[in-house]
Amino acid sequence: MVGIVLVSHSFELARGLAALTSQLAGTEVRVEPAGGGPDGTLGTTDDTVRSAITRADAGQGVVVLADLGSSILTVRHLLEEGRGNGHIRLVDAPFVEGAIAAAVMSSAGQDLEDVARAAEEARGASKF
Amino acid sequence: MQASSEIEIALPHSVALHARPAAAFVKTALRFRSRVTVGVNGKVADAKSILAVLALGATGGTVLRLNADGEDAPAALDALAGCVSGLTE
Repeated sequence: MVGIVLVSHSFELARGLAALTSQLAGTEVRVEPAGGGPDGTLGTTDDTVRSAITRADAGQGVVVLADLGSSILTVRHLLEEGRGNGHIRLVDAPFVEGAIAAAVMSSAGQDLEDVARAAEEARGASKF
Repeated sequence: MQASSEIEIALPHSVALHARPAAAFVKTALRFRSRVTVGVNGKVADAKSILAVLALGATGGTVLRLNADGEDAPAALDALAGCVSGLTE
């Protein structure tokens, strides 16, 4: 299954969203939080994101969602370092809805392309 | 051969189509090639989209109108009917 990485400035935000996402999609999908800076500060670090991607990767690809601003730069920086190769995909998607949509698609055995698209299409979804 | 089929089925009284039950429903729909929609009180959603299904806000006991269009439409509706009647909180 396609893995999901949730990159946030906040440790709690990333972890809380991972818990919510796993509750919907089931625990068979690897949903890995990567939140917070060094010593509990708000921020993102290369190491946190790199290890979350490694944990999420089961061989079918990884979709990475980031909350905003510098968290996106952190992911881009890592992908440019060579972990990219098309197998790890940063998607332009709303954080909560994109994570849920991607994880449910992944849990149904869809491929990287479909999982990434579901996350990006979440932007157009109405909540009610 | 293209086949379009439609059925109506009520959610169990104690189960809303939210969170885990909604995900189970969507995962079932994703097993089929047919285009599948679910209608609730005049709103229609793509049954393969978790966000669209959650947005229906279908509460326990609500009647769902399921429409499937494609070669495996009858099998899709059978599976979804089984899924809906077996949903638990």
